[in-house]
Amino acid sequence: MRAPAPAYAVNDGVIDAATAALGGKLDLATELVGEVALHVVRESLVETMLALRDTPGLEYQQLMEIAGVDYPDRGVERFEVVYCLLSLTRNHRIRVHVRTDDTLPVPSVTGIWPVAGWLEREVYDMYGVLFSGNADLRRILTDYGFRGHPQRKDFPLSGYVELRYSEEAKRVVYEPVQLAQDFRNFDFMSPWEGAEYILPGDEKAKLPEEKGAPTPLKADQIQKADAAQSAKAAPTEPKTTDSPAQTGAGKAEPK
Amino acid sequence: MADYLEKLEGITDAADPTLGDIDIQNYTINFGPQHPAAHGVLRLVLELDGEIIERVDPHIGLLHRGTEKLIEYKTYMQALPYFDRLDYCSPLCMEHSYVLAVEKLLDLEVPIRAQYLRVFFAELTRISNHMLNLGSHVMDVGAMTPNLWLFEIREDCLNFFERASGARMHSAYFRPGGVHQDVPLKLLADIGEWLDTRLPRLFEDAISLVADNRIFKQRNVDIATVSRDDAIKWGFSGPMIRGSGIAWDLRKSQPYDAYAKMDFEVPVGTRGDCYDRFMVRVEEVRQSARIMRQCLNEMPEGPIASLDRKVVPPKRGEMKRSMEALIHHFKLYTEGFHVPAGDVYVGTESPKGEFGVYLVSDGTNKPYRCKIRPTAFSHLQAADFMSKGHMLADTTAILGAMDIVFGECDR
Amino acid sequence: MGVELTRPASGDVLLPPDQSFFDGLNGELTDKGFLVTSTEELFQWARTGSLWWMTFGLACCAVEMIHVNMPRYDLERFGAAPRASPRQSDVMIVAGTLCNKMAPALRRVYDQMSEPKYVISMGSCANGGGYYHYSYSVVRGCDRIVPIDIYVPGCPPTAEALLYGIMQLQRKIRRTGTVER
Repeated sequence: MRAPAPAYAVNDGVIDAATAALGGKLDLATELVGEVALHVVRESLVETMLALRDTPGLEYQQLMEIAGVDYPDRGVERFEVVYCLLSLTRNHRIRVHVRTDDTLPVPSVTGIWPVAGWLEREVYDMYGVLFSGNADLRRILTDYGFRGHPQRKDFPLSGYVELRYSEEAKRVVYEPVQLAQDFRNFDFMSPWEGAEYILPGDEKAKLPEEKGAPTPLKADQIQKADAAQSAKAAPTEPKTTDSPAQTGAGKAEPK
Repeated sequence: MADYLEKLEGITDAADPTLGDIDIQNYTINFGPQHPAAHGVLRLVLELDGEIIERVDPHIGLLHRGTEKLIEYKTYMQALPYFDRLDYCSPLCMEHSYVLAVEKLLDLEVPIRAQYLRVFFAELTRISNHMLNLGSHVMDVGAMTPNLWLFEIREDCLNFFERASGARMHSAYFRPGGVHQDVPLKLLADIGEWLDTRLPRLFEDAISLVADNRIFKQRNVDIATVSRDDAIKWGFSGPMIRGSGIAWDLRKSQPYDAYAKMDFEVPVGTRGDCYDRFMVRVEEVRQSARIMRQCLNEMPEGPIASLDRKVVPPKRGEMKRSMEALIHHFKLYTEGFHVPAGDVYVGTESPKGEFGVYLVSDGTNKPYRCKIRPTAFSHLQAADFMSKGHMLADTTAILGAMDIVFGECDR
Repeated sequence: MGVELTRPASGDVLLPPDQSFFDGLNGELTDKGFLVTSTEELFQWARTGSLWWMTFGLACCAVEMIHVNMPRYDLERFGAAPRASPRQSDVMIVAGTLCNKMAPALRRVYDQMSEPKYVISMGSCANGGGYYHYSYSVVRGCDRIVPIDIYVPGCPPTAEALLYGIMQLQRKIRRTGTVER
């Protein structure tokens, strides 16, 4: 990894240890962009988390974050709940992904980490994901009496209501949103490099010309290719020209 | 009214000595959302038994601005200034997590001078953040003068930010690939002089007024004690976990940028109370000054941002001469750069604790999802068990020692 | 020491007062501890001289609002002191993003202030939503909730800008009549 991101302990053996500890509760374990992600079965989440916390060699004592992500294109089970765990003793981070939809509840981990209480409330507020076992699943960030779940991809950026003080009613009233100017969302897909025009076989294309250029490759594929390239490019011994023979020229200086 | 008087007829205190004392119920008061000691827009619903706190229910979200949603509609570069506005007391440390996450996805190399500059200004930010927090903490528990002096230091810090980036507070100075522009040599020289003369004089003077002060200790020692186990369970980080005696500092344990080369110590508390948290921050200011001095001594020459023109825009002078640079500039400020698909979680040590960014990219020029891990969320949630059994007046000390800023907590 | 009488330039509707009469009256009374002025000027002097402001710090701008109070800028030399209670304050500085959840509280605080009351909107977010204009949870300008007298632009406005805004408010108070605002 060439980026100066936080460097924690190596990922070697973590997936093996997790697979051994979790067994059938683990759907898929990946190591992408230098981070280990475990996709686990939703129903046994609490046991999974307990195993991750208590198994020697894993020891993820702290729950740092619960993030929700919405993938409406997936159809069923569109929401992903991501738990970011941190091991203080092993100095390692791991992510645990669970998939759900807006009716299937995710088991709450408040029993293991009380900090999860508010984090789950936030995911509920933003996505409408339910957590079974969380005793206090109220909205947390949005307005009192807010309707909808703002972080869902189908929720409009400017919402549905806005506020105004009404002189007639002598109080603050809610009204449907009326924008003087709409949010300008530009389409940057040029017709000859837009997403729809990716030809079959493009996914096998090489590295992007440079960083930041559009590419169908995933971040970890680029990282691996880069590592391979830099490993190949690095010469084993420094190139020097100590003697005239090493210059590649025909003759030494004339006598 | 008359019924009530009839009922009381003939009853005297002597006849019924416990009249009125039989069941005093807990009562609930509302604190905030507009209260000077709330450090912003916190609303606390407190359940009190006399003056003893039984339960605290913080209501947050009064500054919920929908940052995460807005970021999804902006390019990576346009989204950066939102991070300044999250924790407005330490803007640059917020940017730090974000640029590191973007760089991690891009697998982008950052020149060594840029790394040093980032560390340098992140530490200056830490100093300015702690000035605000320490000052308001001592003010909340009753001292006025130190705050005035600490704000003088903060004013100096803001001037330095202005000289480096053009903005006093919201600098937008860290960019994916490096920093926005190089600093003038005179600025570095001035900061170096300030570190040696003005900062220690003002800071040590102000702290000497409170650190051993009897009243200050009475208000803080053994208030809101947090054990190591609780600190871990409640997801504490930063000075809050160090105050509880766990030497955990991401700059040390998971070094990013040039922190691996830096020589500094991690202060820890022994009792885990408000006083320890205060003193941990005091020592962190000294250590930050030490890191800044080391940065100044070792500051290497070289480019201040990656030379990859697909991510970092060219400088003005280059644009005047090179057609290619002009095209790059135009593309970067309209479309922006594309970040390859993937997801990363990057946490850095902000002055308040671990500030994390969970960034999901789908290969386009806009983040698919950017989840911000605020430090205040876990700390404020713990306010309930931390204030239980303490007096109402201790709430301000507990909140002050937590160092909460609502821009970041509510996002 | 005589008192200088400056009259507002008020067109030709008002009859110009007899300057020599006032000067004579003033000269007579100054030694005895009195002075002669118009109620208009007296009220304006009182209003501009002690603008106690309600600290409605919401977001980033609140930090600059604190800075303007601190030794470097020292707002109190203009007689403007921070008050935590709306009942005691004359001007409210709305500093920062006003969100939907907070808006009723803002209006309530405004309603509690005693007349005459003024409002300064500080920063882009309070002026019109600014960087967060399109968000689902932000009031697009606090003038939707309370009437604003002075808008201070910037994100955040520097401490000097807020200072200038307060001086502009003083100018505005001097300009407007006292009978009605």
